[in-house]
Amino acid sequence: MKAFKNNVTKCRREFDKSVLQIKSEKSLQELRNHYLSRKRGQLTLLFEDLMALKPEQRPIAGQMVNELKKDIQEKLQSLKKTFKTEEEVVERTDFTLPGKVRYWGAAHPVHLFQAEIENIFISMGYSIEEGPEIETDYYNFGALNFPPHHPARDDWDTLYLKDELLLRTHTSPVQIRVMEKQKPPIKIVIPGKVYRKETPDPTHLPMFYQLEGLVVDKGITFAHLKGTLEYFLKTLFSEKIKMRFRPGFFPFTEPSAEVDIGCTVCEGKDEECRVCGGSGWIEILGSGMVDPQVFKNVNIDPEEYTGFAFGLGIDRTAMFAYQISDMRFFYENDLRFIRQFLLK
Amino acid sequence: MKISLEWIKEYVGTRLSLSSLIDRLDMIGLVVDDWQEKDGDIILDIETHANRPDTLGHLGVARELAAGLGLPLKEKDWPLVELEQETSDFIDIQILDRDLCHRYSGIVVRDIQVKTSPEWLRKKIESMGLNPLNNVVDVTNYVLFSTAHPIHAFDLAKISGQKIIIRRAHKDEIFKTLEGETIGLSPEMLVIADAKKPVALAGVMGGSDTAVSETTRDVFIESAWFDPVSVRKTSKETGIQTDASYRFERGADLSMCPQAALMAASLLSQLGGKSTREVYDVFPKPPKNKTIILRHNRITELLGIEVDQEFVQDTLPKLGFQLEPRQEGSWQVTIPFFRVDIEREADLIEEIARFYGYDKIPSHFPPLCVPEPPRKEKREKINKIRQLLFHQSFDEVINFSFADPEKEAVFLKQRPEIAIKNPISQKASYLRTSLLGGLLENIAWNKNRGAEGLNIFEIGNIYFWDDSKAVEELFIGMATTGFIGQSYWEGKDEEAGYFCLKGTCESIMAHLRYEPFSFQEAKHDYFETGFSLALVYKGEKVGILGLLKSSLLDSFSLKDAVWAAELNLASLFSKQSKPFEYKPVIKFPSVSRDVSFLVKRNVSYQDIKEAVEKLSVAYLERFDLYDRYSGPTISGNKVSLSLRFIFRHPKKTLLAKEVDSLQQRIIKHLKSRFNIQLRKGGQIDKRVRKN
Repeated sequence: MKAFKNNVTKCRREFDKSVLQIKSEKSLQELRNHYLSRKRGQLTLLFEDLMALKPEQRPIAGQMVNELKKDIQEKLQSLKKTFKTEEEVVERTDFTLPGKVRYWGAAHPVHLFQAEIENIFISMGYSIEEGPEIETDYYNFGALNFPPHHPARDDWDTLYLKDELLLRTHTSPVQIRVMEKQKPPIKIVIPGKVYRKETPDPTHLPMFYQLEGLVVDKGITFAHLKGTLEYFLKTLFSEKIKMRFRPGFFPFTEPSAEVDIGCTVCEGKDEECRVCGGSGWIEILGSGMVDPQVFKNVNIDPEEYTGFAFGLGIDRTAMFAYQISDMRFFYENDLRFIRQFLLK
Repeated sequence: MKISLEWIKEYVGTRLSLSSLIDRLDMIGLVVDDWQEKDGDIILDIETHANRPDTLGHLGVARELAAGLGLPLKEKDWPLVELEQETSDFIDIQILDRDLCHRYSGIVVRDIQVKTSPEWLRKKIESMGLNPLNNVVDVTNYVLFSTAHPIHAFDLAKISGQKIIIRRAHKDEIFKTLEGETIGLSPEMLVIADAKKPVALAGVMGGSDTAVSETTRDVFIESAWFDPVSVRKTSKETGIQTDASYRFERGADLSMCPQAALMAASLLSQLGGKSTREVYDVFPKPPKNKTIILRHNRITELLGIEVDQEFVQDTLPKLGFQLEPRQEGSWQVTIPFFRVDIEREADLIEEIARFYGYDKIPSHFPPLCVPEPPRKEKREKINKIRQLLFHQSFDEVINFSFADPEKEAVFLKQRPEIAIKNPISQKASYLRTSLLGGLLENIAWNKNRGAEGLNIFEIGNIYFWDDSKAVEELFIGMATTGFIGQSYWEGKDEEAGYFCLKGTCESIMAHLRYEPFSFQEAKHDYFETGFSLALVYKGEKVGILGLLKSSLLDSFSLKDAVWAAELNLASLFSKQSKPFEYKPVIKFPSVSRDVSFLVKRNVSYQDIKEAVEKLSVAYLERFDLYDRYSGPTISGNKVSLSLRFIFRHPKKTLLAKEVDSLQQRIIKHLKSRFNIQLRKGGQIDKRVRKN
């Protein structure tokens, strides 16, 4: 008991001495921990010693320790107040520290651009259709009026799987699949992955995204095709974009038209422009009036109904829109590339 | 197709500037990809279409241009220096397989001295990007690039038995090409043979045995029509592609055969040869020209503008069509043989549109018709998942659908993989059977470029055989490794890990209302043993997640741990989800109770969760695990769990004693099921929070 009492006194003296040396809030905190920490604080140790005393001695000893604890707490408290007033300016939180920015995941730019294009057509009353990536020769070629063994097929370098199965080279087979089950009026766009036997280079890829459009109804004309695509391109690029329609060839449309836009990079002023090759024009869409043979293949009477179809490469168009020099960037999935589009 | 401007001007007298000329060609569909100056000439590189073999020569391009400019097309005469003899005095032509050769014309030119061509001819050949060879070969090429009709010259003396026989090859017959290569023939291939053997692969290439050489004196010129499909098949099979096969497989001009032979003979006459009196023309069944009815009102119906009848009557003849007026507002149009692309009325309407000018057709907005849009639940669900993942710090990637059989062997083993017959490379010779291979590739790519950690996902198809059916199924793959985002000055960096990933899976299930779902321990080839779970919904495994095997990471040269998950969205979307229901917000306060207890380590949290759920305790709104502790103060193989239960009555404020009894029911049940041991709050565990 005597030893215990000595310990209490010793502890008090030491504390009083230390208190005088406190000069900052930090050292105050250290002092507090030294005495009051729940695990190793001096007072906690005293309480543990107290448990070792005989039960009848405990109340008196307890009172001694409690008094000491109360005194220490009071002193620390008053010291804290002085520090607060003295060091308030220094210790106040620096509110110019960086705020916490949560990491927000980024959508892939091809999907972003796809949505942008889809939304323009949705606003015109189109609905979205999809179809399989693994297709048969019939849907990819035959039904679209590619004669068997015709060199026209060479323009669509195909990856073959087995027998009649292949990876679709365009989204056009979905036109056939939709027209087989749905009678006109039809007004759809078809986004999706397509495949070509192409070794990757800055402008060619073995897989890319296309978006196809199809409108079938009574009285649809080439003028409607022009009106629709002009509205679309103006909305996507700008009201001021230059464009031209010129004859082209697709087995599944007749007449066929290719659509060029004025080069968004050089505006036709640079003869060595990397993007347009100096011509001032960029080929952006293939289109045309649905070929009568295609209608016959899906049992739609070409005398009663007419229609137009169009298709564009989503990644290719995004390249022009954002002036991306290499198509491969889209599928390298470098996050420094992808995450830029968070700002889009 | 290379087109020389000088050459064109022999047919069309145009003085247009180059840029206007290029514009004009573009606008009638002959797109000039590029052009360059060459020896005072301009060589245009014109993009031709697969259905327009007539534009694969200067005559055809000139015809289009003349019509486009409203100028006449000048055609030359081809005079001969003639011998007394007939062609048939030198050679006998027999077509045995008429299905593949509709017409075969020939002419003989004698006493020609094979030598270097004159300057003008050399220049023409060079302008086409070829090296001039000798006068005979150069003449055949000149005719080809003029008319688009391929012809061939044989050394007459080397044709055995004075016979030309057009027949299918015999089985096991061989043929030595002009380039000296010996190839085996098959009976589907059409050949030109003499009395002994094949001397040419019809429409593809001549043979070396009958080739024109410096010693040649007399030549036999062949000008024929071969079946396009047959030529294409032979060319594909033998791997020989020539300027001739390129044109024949697109369809040659049946009417051009004698004329092209004549042209060659005339040119060789100018170079010192003497030709036989006329072309020997074997044409067993001359077909009639196609005719098509063209209706004036149909033009308007298709184009959306009324084109004058005069314009139609003026334009089509310039392109070689003959028009005969029928009843009011329609014509019968006769199609020339060189226009193999014109078969229907719509094809003629395109011709009219091309020359009328696409730019003159007005732009109208189609009448507003909005067919009933189908419900796009799949797209909505995908978008919901994507938004959820962005929110949870996942970046989206898109990978090619191909798989590398070496790197992705483990993935490909899981399902009957689909091989690509003609892949772009060995590394892309299969279709992916998992999305994780691509994700690992992306992690490696980004880590090699300084990324510390990644949270990425992809939504896309995987592909496999189901018996003989090729299946594509929509999956989502997610992978996470290292630290995400920037270090922040306050608090710890956020490390991606298993529980983040599991949480993401749980939120996908919860947000799409696929509840209740559960996780089960499941071994899987992708994951380290003991570190993988299966996600189960309605009794079916719809996903997997776990720690990827280090052997797998090795093939992508990855060192740090990667956690990954893959869910079968196709299967998930096909299942019924819980309907969405609005529930009024209850205005009575909740009562929450914390319960801390010790339980054996081998009791999984999911067991406890399911046990409480099964109990269906009244007014228990929800419960969560808010602390788990196992440390030196916890004895044996036990762990301390702290659950918070929230009770709420819809119509009144719950009384403490009511909650006590509900709580007791739960505790009693857990005690009997798992032998839990309650801990007294605050006494041992100092971290218990009070309500």
